[in-house]
Formats: sequence, structure tokens, C-alpha cells
Amino acid sequence: MKPYDIVIIGGGAAGLAALKGAYDKSLNICLIERDKTLGGILKQCIHNGFGLHHYNEELTGPEYAERGIEEVLGLNVDIFTDTTVVDVVKENGTFELMLMNTKKGEHRIKAISTIISSGCYERTRGAIQLPGDRPAGIMPAGSAQRHLNIDGYMVGKKVFILGSGDIGLIMARRMTLEGAEVLGVAELMPHSNGLTRNIVQCLHDFDIPLYLSHTISDIKGKSVLESITISEVDENFDYIEGTEKTFEVDTLLLSVGLIPDINMFDSLKFEVSKKTGGAIVDQTYQTSVEGLFACGNALHVHDLVDFVTEESTKAGQQAKAYILNNKKRSKNTLYVTPSSNISYILPQTLDMDDDFNEVVLSLRTTTNALTGKFHVYQGETLLFSEKAKFVVPAEMEKIKIKKEHLKHSGPISILFEVVSQ
Amino acid sequence: MTYDFLIIGSGISGALIARELSKYDVKTILLEKENDAANHATSANSAIIHSGYDPDPGSLKAKLNVEGNKLYDQLEKELDIPLFKNGAFMVAHDKDEEGLLERYLERAKTNGVPGVALLDQAEAKKLEPNLADSVTKVLNLPTTKVTYPWEVAIASIENAVDNGVLFEKNQTVEKIDKQDEYYVIKTAEGTTYQSRYVINAAGAYAEQIAKMVEKNVQYHITPRKGEYIVLDRRVQGFIKRTLYPTPDEKGKGVLMVPQFHGNILIGPNSELQSSLDDASTSKGGINVVKEGANRLAKNIPFHQTIRTFSGVRASSTHHDFYIKPSLEQPGFIHVAGIDSPGLTAAPAIAKYVVETLIIPQETLPINKHFNPRRQAIKLYDDMSLSERQEAFKADQRYGNLVCKCERITEGDIVRHIHRAVKGDSVKAIKKRARAGAGICQGGYCEHQIIKILAKELGKTPLEINYFAKGSNILKRETKVKS
Amino acid sequence: MKKEMICIVCPVGCHVSIDTKTHEVQNNKCKRGERYAKKELLNPTRMLTTTVNIDSIHQRRLPVKTTDAIPKEKLFDLMDLLESVEIKIPVNLGDVILSNVFDTGVDVVATMSLKD
Repeated sequence: MKPYDIVIIGGGAAGLAALKGAYDKSLNICLIERDKTLGGILKQCIHNGFGLHHYNEELTGPEYAERGIEEVLGLNVDIFTDTTVVDVVKENGTFELMLMNTKKGEHRIKAISTIISSGCYERTRGAIQLPGDRPAGIMPAGSAQRHLNIDGYMVGKKVFILGSGDIGLIMARRMTLEGAEVLGVAELMPHSNGLTRNIVQCLHDFDIPLYLSHTISDIKGKSVLESITISEVDENFDYIEGTEKTFEVDTLLLSVGLIPDINMFDSLKFEVSKKTGGAIVDQTYQTSVEGLFACGNALHVHDLVDFVTEESTKAGQQAKAYILNNKKRSKNTLYVTPSSNISYILPQTLDMDDDFNEVVLSLRTTTNALTGKFHVYQGETLLFSEKAKFVVPAEMEKIKIKKEHLKHSGPISILFEVVSQ
Repeated sequence: MTYDFLIIGSGISGALIARELSKYDVKTILLEKENDAANHATSANSAIIHSGYDPDPGSLKAKLNVEGNKLYDQLEKELDIPLFKNGAFMVAHDKDEEGLLERYLERAKTNGVPGVALLDQAEAKKLEPNLADSVTKVLNLPTTKVTYPWEVAIASIENAVDNGVLFEKNQTVEKIDKQDEYYVIKTAEGTTYQSRYVINAAGAYAEQIAKMVEKNVQYHITPRKGEYIVLDRRVQGFIKRTLYPTPDEKGKGVLMVPQFHGNILIGPNSELQSSLDDASTSKGGINVVKEGANRLAKNIPFHQTIRTFSGVRASSTHHDFYIKPSLEQPGFIHVAGIDSPGLTAAPAIAKYVVETLIIPQETLPINKHFNPRRQAIKLYDDMSLSERQEAFKADQRYGNLVCKCERITEGDIVRHIHRAVKGDSVKAIKKRARAGAGICQGGYCEHQIIKILAKELGKTPLEINYFAKGSNILKRETKVKS
Repeated sequence: MKKEMICIVCPVGCHVSIDTKTHEVQNNKCKRGERYAKKELLNPTRMLTTTVNIDSIHQRRLPVKTTDAIPKEKLFDLMDLLESVEIKIPVNLGDVILSNVFDTGVDVVATMSLKD
């Protein structure tokens, strides 16, 4: 069988946008989705707040997904739903994907280029090593969201939430509206990880307390959850004795982080960033394996789906250019490294032989600031500084660099200076 | 119903005793208080089949350890259980610990452990490059193995059931009376059993059970908790052998144990506690485990941690295993104080109970139909290409990948639901088919597993338990006018 | 009496307070904060997103939303009202599920198309 030019893995926001970006009448493209329908995790995010950047209007998750689906529906491409990617290898310059579904069982397809848009999974209790008993009633907030919004089941009556990420906040409101009592949200950090709007409309509206600088210090319950205890933490995140508060709950939801879901690509052995959990890419979203691209939450976790769409469209376009221009990877690589107060920058490398005028770097800080300055260096040389306002780790910042600036030697590095907090 | 033998507790000891008794033409029943077999110490330990370097020479532990280790090779063939023959290193960091290695070398030889030898740092590092730099010398213990203890117990029960033993779960023994030559056993769930013999293999609860029969129980259970960290199976190969420190007064210390499926198990700490069932973990305990592990290997990928857990070991004041008939009541047999190396010794314990304690008292007719073999259900991911094609042709549910972390299909799950010892809860499926045992810990597949369980068991998703009775994950349906 | 609130009009997130009698707003950095605080005190409104029953093979609930914000105190009443709604496939995104709820002129509409 003739290999596909491009295979896109995942039909959520990222995959749909990548498909739109990659589409060309002359190309043979395939998209693989494990669920029965396209749209990914957006389908269970029934709240609104999506689309303000990309569509200039406020949409719910399912509406945002449906727009993305409509945009690709008429295209002459193969879309395989209800099909899972089990393994991907690269042999003699061609990707071979092992797929599974209930119609064909295990089968293989080939591709010249592959785009990873497989989304992310939720960090678990085990990964953050929460102490205490291990009864039923503890689950990631997104799993509870799926049970509730797609299948119509409530997972509890009295709920506590660990982590103030947006999924946790949204679920606090959602479970309250459906008749549960949410006793509180605890956040390890001294600041919330969610949008202020969600703090106000999901917590304040329903008098749900938010405990900043608190974490779970004990869990009780032999077969089912009976209570949780939270403790305030010091600057080393150690419990402060005497600050314990116990809540009798039957459910503990965890909103403690998302991690790119890429373990089905382990055989390809591309370089992975310890910070993002996703692939290390250049400005064309190409990973360390030639012809392998990554985008969306499978690359790094985004705060807004609009940015997933924007990034994935570009990744799709780059994959198309890679095929149409028959591009080969250059050896002229420039590294982009985070310095003080920056947790990560994407892309992590620049392909200097690539034809570009400027590149947009996405980055996250490690600290809050009312005002601050980004300083961009190449080697020891300060290229430029840029002011920034209302910087928070939960929201991605963007910095543009022109290729003409990059005449010095050494890697690019960016540091963030806090001016006022 | 009247039985010849009633075994209390379906942990590794009870399970293997049940199987041992099924070789004879007697009526045997195995009772378990939990909603699944082997849920406590047997499913929360280091999973090591020890070589026998440790127990005091002459003790029952030493004898049954070395015998048990050998019997696992036979069990592997008969019960088709996983057995990972990876060997072990006991490591030393200084002259004192090197002295201990010498002592354990001698003890291992006395206990009849084959192949033991000392290796210097360079030799050891060649075999285990990630060994901690502070390690100066190691004791090589090539006969140390790793198994999947829970699977051994359930395989034994399945084989015993095949050979005529009855297994009943959710039966908590509450009262035992002696009436003539029969024991009358009553459970909290309201069932009454009669049996000529009672074998007390109740683990941490052995003393409580014994008190139902004896005035002066000869031992106290002094539970010891051990906490563990599990690393994802993607760390496979980080170490090949089990790594031990030199033991101290608390036990064997914090170990690193490569598991059969590729994960690495790290632990345990060892803390005495009064509770028989407190299997909680603590920040302090997990820190002790991490510190201990850092003395064994360097650059341990702790960021690949997927879960923590703890197990309660049924240690006793007797120190050695307490495997004896009751001094007060004939026909009541204690199998108590089974702490380390209980898993290793279990097959030998079962033989000892039947051949040394029972047969001299009682002629047991041979079960002519005894079939020692039990076939494991192969998971799709472990099958060869032709087996996979065959499996899919027979059941297209093998084409539905449910747990992508561990590559478990719907076909695997369905077959494990309908095993001889049914897998009827989310946790039972995780243990049997590994679905949900990977990095996302069921976050992605749990809703599908609930649906598959509901369909196969003829229940609604609301009735599906996480584990114990009454631990349903879905509490109520929305949009139903009450 | 003073009521404390966080203004969510812009990223500054002023912690404003409003006097419940005189409606005097304090600690706002701009005019929009004053408007926000008054609206939140006198006539707070919210969008509602939730689900209703549907007989689709893909999912057991259909996501829905209000076409505009409704008075905040009506949120739970609307949840009650939606409890007994049962939708049959096919349904299109934007289909009206309930119209003019509580005479507000606001409809509840489907936010997903489900054909089978």
C-alpha cells in the first residue's frame, strides 16, 4: 500500500486544526481518532469561554469542536474514528503505524510524515504521592467531568477539590449545580492556577472556599472515602502543624496538572522535554525525528484551546511544506533556553536554515508579576527587552524574534525580571 | 454444609493450602472476608522469591524459605504463573556492611542457597551500571526471583476450585463453636458452615480468629506496615536485579525490585502499628523509602512514579512462623505470623500443613482426578502475532483497545471478568488484566471498564464497585426526577 | 454594609467593595469596575451550561446552554426545569430545547448536534 503523505494522530482541537493546516488537494492525508466521533475532550467541556480569540465569540466546548469538525468535513481525506494507535516505528524513512479497531483488528498503515496531536492526560494521585488511605472516591476532575457530562452520572454528594486549575473550578460549579455540596478547593501554591473569572463564577457564586497554600495531608476511608484533611504548607511545601482542617466528603477530585499523552510513540525515541512532558521541537513543530511533528496539548499543555488551534494549524502547514518542498532537516540548530523566572520556552530549538523572518516563542514564567520585563539574549549579548503586564504562570506569554537579530553566537536565552508584584 | 476442611483467609498461604488439599478426596472450603481473593499482605509486598540467605538457620522460616523457593519453579510450570528469574544483589557501603555480607554468605551456604558469591564494586557495576556509587561490595544471590504474588494466589485458588474446592468471598468469620467433632463457623454475612478442621490463615487477623477458639493464644500479632513506591513500566531495564541493603533489626530494609511487567517497586519502610488494617501511606514514610533507595542506585527516575501503597505484614511475637495445631482444640491449625519470607515459603507452608500436620492424624484419600495444571489467560499484548489474529477472529472485542497505557483490550477484560474467580470490580480487573495499572491509573479507561463490567455482569453502571461491596464509583444518575 | 468582590472585566482583577445601601464603589481602578460592581449587586446574571437527557448512541446527555445570561438566582430553578426534559435524536446545534425561560426572553439551546 502506498504510504500516506501525512497521518494525524488525534481528532480533537489540535488534530482538526492540524488537518486544516496540512490539507492540500495533492496530498494523501489521514486522521486517526480513538473515540467514535471527532472533537476530543472539548465534547465534555460543556461550559463556555472558548473561541474568544479564534472565532471572536464565546462558545462552549462542544460548539467549538463542531466548528472545527465542519471545517474539515468536506475535505478529501481519510478519517478513521474508533481506531487506536498502538505503536509507531520509523523504518527506511517511512513511519509505520500499528492501529487497532473492532472492524479490522490490528493493522498497519504507512506515512511519510506524522503529526502527534493526541492531547494530554490528567496527573494522578499516585504521581503526586498523596498520603493516606486508598478508598474509592478519589479521581481526576476530568474523569468526573466525563462521567457527568457525557454519561450523566454523579460521582459524589459531598466533594472536595485539590488544585485550583480551571478543570477543578469548573467542576466545583458543575457538581454544585447538579446538587452536590462542594466543601472547598485547596491549592498548594500561594496563588490560584485558574482564571479569575472562574474563581468568581465557580467558587464565589456558590460560597465555596479556596484554601491557598494548602494541600491534602491525610485521606481516611477503608473502602469508601470518609474524610480528607488539608494542611497549610510553608515555602518548602511542608505541612505546618496545627493548621489541619478535616472535611467529611465522599469524593475528592484532583485538578493537579495535565501531561502530554505520548507514550504510544515511545518506540520513535524522540527527545522529550522534562519541563513540558512533550517533544522538543523547532519552529516548524518538527521533533528530533525527521518528519515527525507535534502540536496541541500533546506538545505542551495550553491554557486556551484557541492557542491550540493556532499552533496546530501552523504545525499542519509545516508538515505540508515538509512534504511539498521535500525538505531535509538541517544541522544548523540554535537552542532556546529558559533562564531566571522562566519555566519553559517553545520551540526549544530553531532550524536556522529554515526560511523564516521571525519566530514567535511561547513561554511560561514561574512567578506572578503585575509588571515585568523579558530580556532576550543570544549568548552574552542582550538582543532586546520587552515590557509585560499581568504575568501569571497559568497564562502563556509570547515573544517575537526576528531572524536578522540572530547574528551572534551562542544559544538564545530569555529571563524574566519582576518589576512589581 | 459440612466440610472436612475450612480455611479462613485467601491470601497466599490459604490459597496454596486449598490447592494442596485439593490433591485429596476431601471436602474443602476457602473463605475470604473481602470482595476478592488475596487483597491484603499478598497483594502489597515486595513480590520477591527470596533465596533464603536471611532466616536463622534451623528455624521454620529458613527451612520453608529454601524449599519454597525451589517449589516456585514447579508452580511456574503447573499454574502458569509469572516468574522472573532476575537474581539479586545485597549491597554494602563500608567495612561493617561488607562484614555483614560475609556473614550472610556463610548463612546462605548453611541454609543451602545455591550460587551465592561476593563481587567487588567493579564487577557489580558491570552487571548493574546504575548501582549507587557509594556501594563498595555486593553479595550476588542468583536464585532470588520475582513473581506476581496476587496472581499466584488466584491461580492456586482457580486450580483448587477446578479440583473441587469451594471458594466464597465476602464472608467474614465472626464466631467459631465446637459441637462434637465439628466446628460451627458463623459469618457476619449470616452464613453457617460446619467443618471437621479449621485452618486459620487469616493473616493480620489470625489472633482474632484464634481467640474465637482458644483461651490462651500462643502468639500476638504485631502488625508492621511497609510503604512502597511504584515506577511506571517505562523504567524497565534501569536495574535488572533486585537490590537489597544489608538487613537491620527492622527487617530487610528498603529494596528496589524490578517487576515482572517492567515496573520497579521501591520499598518498604517498616513501622510497627497497632491497627490490623491501616494501609495508609505517609509523606514521612515515602521519604524514608526514597532515601533508602538512593543508597542502592543513582539517578532513580522518581518522576516516573505512578502510585504509592502500603501493606500490613502479620508479624508475630513468635518471630518464627507459627504453624502448629492448637494446643487446646484438636482440628484447629494455626498458620500465623507469616511475615517475610512468607510469599517465598507459601508453597512449602502448604505442604508442611498438609503432609506434616494433617496426614499423620488423618488418612487423606487421594483425589484421582486431581489436575495440577491451570492455564493462565494470556493478555493480547503478550500473545504472538498468530495468537493475536486468532483471538481477534474469535472475538472482535480484542480489537478495542481500552487501556492504552498497558495495551489491554476489551477482549482481555471480558475474559478476566469471567475467570473461575470472577473479576467483578474495577480493582479486580486492574489486578487481573492490568487495565488501569499504567501512567494514567485508569483516568482514561475507567468509564469504559465500568461499562464493560456492567454489561458482562448484567448490572447497571451504578452498581459497579471500585472494590468492596458498596464502593460504587457512580453514585446517582442526573436528570432523573425524584 | 459593604460587599467585597473581584472585578473580572480585565486581567487586573481589582478587589472592589460596594456599599449595599448607597451603592458607592471603592478600590476600583477604572469606571468599568464601578459598573461591574453595581451590576453584580443589583442584577447579577449568569449563563447556564448544563445537560439534558437524550437517546443518542454516542452519549447519554446532550449539552445545552442559555442563549444569554439569566438572573443568577434562577440558575437552580432552571436546573430543576431541565431535569425532566427528554430530547430525541436527531438534534442540531442551536436547536431550541426550552424557549423564553421564566419570561426572560432567553432560550435554552443544544450546543451539539447528535444524529444517531
